[in-house]
Amino acid sequence: MTESVVRIVSIYPTLLGTYGDGGNVLALRHRARLHGITVDIHEVIPGDPVPTDADLYVIGGGEDTAQVAAANALRADRGLVTAVDRGASVLAICAGYQLIGTEFPDAVGQPAPGVGIIDIRTDRLAQRAVGELVARPSRFAPPGLTDFFSGYENHAGATHLGPGVQPLAMVEAGIGNGDGSEGAVAGRVLGTYLHGPCLARNPQIADQLLSWVTNRTLAPIVEEEVVALRAERIDYVARNS
Amino acid sequence: MGLKMRTRFAISVGRAAAAASRLAGRGEGMVVGGKVTLKLAPRAIADLANDRVAVLISATNGKTSTTRLLANAVEQLGPVLTAQTGANMTSGVVTTLANGGADTIAVLEVDEAYLPMVTADTNPRVILLGNLSRDQLDRMNEVAMTARKWRKMLAEHPEVTVVANADDPIVTFAAEQAPKVIWVAGGQVWTADSAVCPDCGTLLTRDDVSWHCTGCGRSRPEPTWFLEWTDGVGTAVSPAGERFDLSGLKLPGRFNASNATMALAVCGQLGLNLTESVDRMCHVEAVSGRYAVVDVGSLRIRLLLAKNPAGWTELVDVMPPAPAPVIVTINSNAADGRDPSWLWDVPFEQLRGRTVIATGDRRRDLAVRLLHAEVDHVVIADPYAPNAPLPPAARDLDIIDNAATYTGFHTLRTRAAREAGK
Repeated sequence: MTESVVRIVSIYPTLLGTYGDGGNVLALRHRARLHGITVDIHEVIPGDPVPTDADLYVIGGGEDTAQVAAANALRADRGLVTAVDRGASVLAICAGYQLIGTEFPDAVGQPAPGVGIIDIRTDRLAQRAVGELVARPSRFAPPGLTDFFSGYENHAGATHLGPGVQPLAMVEAGIGNGDGSEGAVAGRVLGTYLHGPCLARNPQIADQLLSWVTNRTLAPIVEEEVVALRAERIDYVARNS
Repeated sequence: MGLKMRTRFAISVGRAAAAASRLAGRGEGMVVGGKVTLKLAPRAIADLANDRVAVLISATNGKTSTTRLLANAVEQLGPVLTAQTGANMTSGVVTTLANGGADTIAVLEVDEAYLPMVTADTNPRVILLGNLSRDQLDRMNEVAMTARKWRKMLAEHPEVTVVANADDPIVTFAAEQAPKVIWVAGGQVWTADSAVCPDCGTLLTRDDVSWHCTGCGRSRPEPTWFLEWTDGVGTAVSPAGERFDLSGLKLPGRFNASNATMALAVCGQLGLNLTESVDRMCHVEAVSGRYAVVDVGSLRIRLLLAKNPAGWTELVDVMPPAPAPVIVTINSNAADGRDPSWLWDVPFEQLRGRTVIATGDRRRDLAVRLLHAEVDHVVIADPYAPNAPLPPAARDLDIIDNAATYTGFHTLRTRAAREAGK
């Protein structure tokens, strides 16, 4: 029996990695090791082709100029679109979440075209959302997501979900999409405003992604550092909201 | 001293407020006093500056150290007015200016966001721009936004000479159109915030010494001052090819050698004796407690300020080699940045082989980061307590390095001073 390798692509980490988003890839590597899954992580820089045959694509957050540059490069490349069409999984954070939709605001607030792998559209919030974000999985969330989500948000986007796209979570504290919902799920594409980074603070999401790409049910593995951090942050939000 | 009545009155009220703040044990009162003064006399900085401000210094990292190095060098001309505590927003600037003689030369550190305002008010002869990178993302502008504001500021003040780090593409973008720029090859270890051209968004192309943009053709300006760094020893090289040995600097690391080289370029512009300038810089020891060795509780620690990924990247170099354990204090008060996700941008993997003692309000975030970096760690709320469960190697050290974010750093300094006074 040959051991299969999970292929993970980190999209443009040089452009999209403002809020420690590189940590999501580290967390995937870490959780995969705990579950005995072998991963191959490939970082794509703008200009290089995005592989179409990987299992999981991770897209981080970035500043406005970098976000527009990344969206333009991904639209020109088409590799991500091809990969999603054949069923690859995607995790997109913050600016990365906005740019996988159809439209998002550029540095001066004008609509810029997104990559369009998910039917969401983002315009501007009246006031920037900065602070701790706590949300509970929505009824549309994948089955492996049962715990509260904890993270930090820092964005100015109000994200509107089209038909066929469901909210990933409902906001308990914070802003999220701006209408009480947080993030989006469509098939195996997950988008969220949670950073911190997302997968280090929410290992269930990492495990869900790894479960999808391996077609395995993964045993719950709990690490005391992560439990202590989640308890502290959720308690902090409870006491301050 | 030729000050307007309103300014004089505002300063006296500000001083009273500062004294009250000191009496209440709330620190040195500079910020409170300055805020009161500016509230009563919004033009106080311009009135006080009175054309005696020689240099303004700004950067994300190293501005306090660079300011101290430069101020020491400029003292060869006589007394120099400079903030002793790193108070670098408008409130700190007004207090510093109000506390010196009317003709005393001023060398002032200024917060990146406040630089345009302070430049407009003080009409400095030289502005030193060191580096720009991510810091306190929850409240500061994006890096590119700050660069655009600096660029506009320099367009509005063509008379100012700029000393700028050519190795930082973001600083270059800010300074490139100023009529008089002295470019310094100051180095840039942290490149993650200048991955793309700040103007056209193209990914920058880098090699060991230079950078350029294939999108708009922008490239590293030709420097006239250089820092050479070989085997842990720095040499500053002037436009005339003179070489200045920086091995006598007491501030450690390549980063401080770079700060000194940039300061020396300013000294050249001010017409100072450069050999004497370097000698004077070598007398600078701890700057506002940075690198100071102090006793806290049961430990003797060396204080390292580690505010952001760029600063961290420089610090690992000055720590003693593994397996020496280190203490890392992470807070997330307003002055630290509320969002510690920057911890994931710090290459903590470089600390493998040591035990890290994680402390501070956000020690649990640090522990999760170290878990992922595969760095051995213990989480201890008060590692300075006599009975703290430290790894044995920590007790064996005469001095243990303690890197801390801004408020953690100041809490440790204050605690050390209080305990020393017992």
